[in-house]
Amino acid sequence: MIRAEALCKQFDRTVMSEDKKKGKASRSKKETFLAVDHVSFEVQTGEIVGLLGPNGAGKTTLLRMLGCLMQPTEGSVMITDTNGECITDPVKAKNHIGYLSGNTKLYHRLSVREMLQMLGEIYGIDREETAARIEKISSVLDMGEFLDNRIERLSTGQTQRASIARTLIHEPDIYIFDEPTLGLDILSADAIVSFMKQQKEAGKTVLYSTHYLEEAQFLCDRILMICKGRIVCEGSPESIMERFGAESLRDAFHKVMQEQNAGEESGETAMEETESREEEP
Amino acid sequence: MKIAAVWALFKREMMDILRDKKTVAMMILLPIVLYPLLIVAMVFLMNAITTSQEEKVYKVCLDTEPEISRELLTIINEDEEEIGYKLKVLTSHEVEMKLADVKKEESAKEKKQDTEAEEEKDLLTRGLDAKVLNGFIRQKEDGSFDVCYLSAQTDSNIAKNALNDVLGLYREKVRRETLDEEGLDADAFLDAVTFQGHDLSSTEESVGNQIGSLLPFFIITSVLLGAMYPAIDVTAGEKERGTLETLLTLPVTNLEMIMSKFLAVSLIACISAFLNVVSMGGAMMFLVSGAMSGNSEMGISLNYSVFLPGIGFTLLVMVFFAMLVTAICMCTCIFAGSFKEANNYITPVMLVVMFSSYAAMVPNVELTQKTSVIPVVNVALMIKSLFGFTNDYGLYGIVLFTNIAYSLLAVLVLSRLYNSEAVLFSEGFASVHLFSKRSDMKKGQMPGGGDVVLVMSLTLLLMLYIGTFAVAKLGFYGVAVQQGIILLIPLLYAWYIRTDIKKLFSFNMPHPAAFAGGFLMFVGAFILALFVGALLAGVFKESADNLVELNDFLSTQSKPLTVIFIALMPAMGEELLFRGFFMGTIKEKYKPALVIAATAIIFAAYHMSILRFFTVGIIGLSFTMAAYRSRSIFVSMMMHFCNNLAACLVEWYPGRLQKLMELDPAALSSPLAVFGLFGGAAAAVLLGYYLVGFRGKRAAEGGLS
Repeated sequence: MIRAEALCKQFDRTVMSEDKKKGKASRSKKETFLAVDHVSFEVQTGEIVGLLGPNGAGKTTLLRMLGCLMQPTEGSVMITDTNGECITDPVKAKNHIGYLSGNTKLYHRLSVREMLQMLGEIYGIDREETAARIEKISSVLDMGEFLDNRIERLSTGQTQRASIARTLIHEPDIYIFDEPTLGLDILSADAIVSFMKQQKEAGKTVLYSTHYLEEAQFLCDRILMICKGRIVCEGSPESIMERFGAESLRDAFHKVMQEQNAGEESGETAMEETESREEEP
Repeated sequence: MKIAAVWALFKREMMDILRDKKTVAMMILLPIVLYPLLIVAMVFLMNAITTSQEEKVYKVCLDTEPEISRELLTIINEDEEEIGYKLKVLTSHEVEMKLADVKKEESAKEKKQDTEAEEEKDLLTRGLDAKVLNGFIRQKEDGSFDVCYLSAQTDSNIAKNALNDVLGLYREKVRRETLDEEGLDADAFLDAVTFQGHDLSSTEESVGNQIGSLLPFFIITSVLLGAMYPAIDVTAGEKERGTLETLLTLPVTNLEMIMSKFLAVSLIACISAFLNVVSMGGAMMFLVSGAMSGNSEMGISLNYSVFLPGIGFTLLVMVFFAMLVTAICMCTCIFAGSFKEANNYITPVMLVVMFSSYAAMVPNVELTQKTSVIPVVNVALMIKSLFGFTNDYGLYGIVLFTNIAYSLLAVLVLSRLYNSEAVLFSEGFASVHLFSKRSDMKKGQMPGGGDVVLVMSLTLLLMLYIGTFAVAKLGFYGVAVQQGIILLIPLLYAWYIRTDIKKLFSFNMPHPAAFAGGFLMFVGAFILALFVGALLAGVFKESADNLVELNDFLSTQSKPLTVIFIALMPAMGEELLFRGFFMGTIKEKYKPALVIAATAIIFAAYHMSILRFFTVGIIGLSFTMAAYRSRSIFVSMMMHFCNNLAACLVEWYPGRLQKLMELDPAALSSPLAVFGLFGGAAAAVLLGYYLVGFRGKRAAEGGLS
C-alpha cells in the first residue's frame, strides 16, 4: 500500500513579464511555484489507480516523490509492505517499489541479461535466484529472442519490455509507472496493459499515469485527476462518468478540466499565483 | 555503505566505459600506439633535419679588404670541420649575375617590380633579400666587421653562426701572428690558464634530472586525459542518456552511487596513465639505447635499477593523484546536462592542471614544505625530486597525505552535490547563483552550497597561483595582493548575487562586553595554542623552521606596513571569507556544532602547514565560537587582529615578549604548571564565551537580533 499525505513540491521558474516603465518589451523574473500542492490519497494492495491530467499538471513530480526519487518540500509518503510493516527509509522503500518512467532509460552498452544480473546484485538477490527470475520474466514478457542483445540494438517495444523487466527483477509490492504505453505500437501497449492486470491479480499495488483515457477506463479501479498540482477529481471510472453525465472517461475528463478553467476564470477556485502551468523539470 | 552494491555498480560502470570505443581509444590506442610513434617520428625528423642542415652548402660573401678576404677564404676551406657547416664564397660579380637571373625570372612571371627602396639597397643586401646569399661579412671603416644575416630565415641564421666561427678563427690567427712578431710564446700567452668542465654526476643522475623535468608533465597530462572523458561519461553522459534517473530508483545511497563511479573513473585514469608511462618509457629507452642510430655503442648504458624507488613512488602518488583529478573532474562535470556542456566546464580545469604541471620544468622551483601542499604542483615537484635522487621522504609523505585529503574532500563535496535535486534533475548550476542572470536574482537571497564551493575554490586557486607569484615578484607588497584577493572575492561575489550582505557577513555591532569577551577567549586560546605548538614543534620540525623563516622575514619590514598587511588586512579578509561567507552560508542549513567545527577546520587547513593546522585550529575555533555566539563578525575580526599583532610584537620586541610567550616544554614538566596553565586558559575561554553572548538590556528585550 502507498499513501501520500499532504505532499507538496516547490520549484523555481523564470517568467517573462512586461516592464512598461522602462519601455522594455519583456524582462525575465524568477518566482517559486507549487508543482504539487497538498496532495493526499492512498492506493490499496491489489488496486490499479490511474493518474490523469494535462501536461504540466504535476503527475511526474508526484510520481517521483512517491517513488522516493525526489524529496517532498512538505508532506510525506508512506509505504507499507505485504506484511503490513511501514517503511520510512527512502532507500529501503525502493526495495518495494518498481518505478518506470520515460526518463528511466536503460544502460545501452549492456545486454538485457547483464543489466538484470547487475540489478539482482544491487537488490541483494543471490545469483541462482536472479538467473531463475530472469528466465521467468523473459517468458512472461516474451524477451527470449533479445535477452542477450545489447539494449542499444533493441526496438522501441523491446526496450520498453526490457524496462518493465527492470522493475520486476526484485519482485516489488508496488509499481509506479509514468506513461508506460507512451509511443508504443498496439501490441506492445497491450502487452504492458495485460502485465499490469496480472500484477493486480497477483495482489500488487499499481499506480500509473497515462494520457490514454480509454486504456485507463478499461484498466483502472480508481482514477485520480490532477490539475495544477491538485487532485480535482477522484473515484472509479464509472462513478466519475456518472457524476458528470458523461458517456466515456474522455468526456468526463474534458468536463472536469472545463470546470477547472471556468472556476479559475470566475475566481471561485482560483489557485495562488505561485502555482504552475509550466512543464515540470 | 553496502560494498556489494558499490561493487555491482562499479562493474556496471567499468563495462559501460570499456564498451565505449571512444574511451578505449583514448585510454589504450593513444598511449600504446600514437605516443611512441610520435616520439620516434619526432626523433627521426629531428635527425633528418640536422643531417640536411649539415650537408647543405650555405652561400656567403666577403666584403672585406682583399688581404683579409684571402685569409678568411683559407680558413673556410681548411677548417670546415671546426666550422661545422659547408660554406660557398661568392664574389660580388657572381652575386650580381645570380640577382640578374632572379630578376629575369620574376619579370617573366610579372611578379613584381623593384621599388625605389629596394633599388637604394646595396648589392649584397639585395642578394640576401633575394636568397641568393645566406649571409655576408662586411668590413667597416674602423676595421671592425659586421656579420649580416636575416634572423627570420633558418638558413641565414646557420650561415651567421658559421661566419661568426670563421671570424673567431681569424681573430685567433691574428692574435698568434701578432704575438709571434713580438717574439712572445703565443701558446703560453693565449692558453695561460686552461680549464675543462667535468660533470661529476653519474649518467643515471643526469638522465634522472632530465626525466624528472619531463615526466611530471606527461604523467599529469595522461592522468587528466584518462580521467576526463570517463568522468564526463559517468556524470553528464549518464544524464544525457537518461540513465541517472534509473540509478535513482535503486536502493543505493548517493555515497554508494558516487563511490562506484569515482572508483571506476579513478581506475581508468590510473590504467591510462600507467600505459602512457610504460609506452613512453619504452620509447625513451629505445632511443637512449642507441637503437635509433643502429649502433648500440652510441647509446648510453644505464643502471636502470637506481630508478626503481622513484618509479615505485611515482606509481603510488599517481594512484592518489588520479583519485584527486577524478574527483575534481566529476565535481565539475556533475553540473553539466550534456557532453557538450561538460566539455565547456572542464576546459578551464584542464588548463589549470596542465599549467600547474609545468612547475617541474621551472628552474629553482623545488619541493618544499609550502609547495608540497599545492595540488598538482606538489605531484610534479615530487616526481622531479624522486628522479633527482633528493630522497626527501618527509615531504613525499606530505604530498601523499595532502593528495589523499584533497581527494577525500572532493569525494565528500561530490556526494553532497549528488544529494542536490537541482544537480540531478538537470537544473545545472542552480546551487551556484553566479550562473543566473543578475536581474533574475532575488534581492537578499543567501548563497547556496555551490556558491560556497566556488568562492572557496576560487579564492584558494587565486591565492596559490596569483598570490604566490605576487609575493615572489613584489615581496612584502605581494602579501597585500594576497590579502586583497581574500578580502575582495567574498564581498564582490556576495554583492553580485544580491545577497543580504549584513546578514551573510554578520555585520552587527555587538555589546561592548562581547569585545571584552572575545579578547578573553583569544588570550585563553592563544595560550593553549602556544602550548600545543611548543609540543608539536619537535614533531614537525620543518614546519617550525618555516615559521622561524617567516618571522625573520617580518622583522625586516616597516612596522606600520606590517600592521596593515599582516594584522589588519588578514583580520578583515580572512574573517569575511571564513566567519562571513563560509559560516554565514552553512549556518542556514546545519547544526551549530557542525558549522563551528567545519569553519575552524577549513580555516586551519587554509594555512597550509601541519604544525599551524593544530595551533591555528585552536585559535580559529575561538574566533568561530565568538563570531557565532555574538552574531557579529566584528568580534572575531578584533580577535584575529590581536592574534596577528601579537605575532608582530614578538618579532619587534623579542627581549620583552618572547620570554613571556615562548613556552619551554621543560618548564611544563610539573603537573601544577600544566594544571595552572590549562586552568587559566580554560577559565579565560569560558568567561570570554559567556561575555560574547551578552546582548545587554535592549537586545534582551528584543531590540537586537
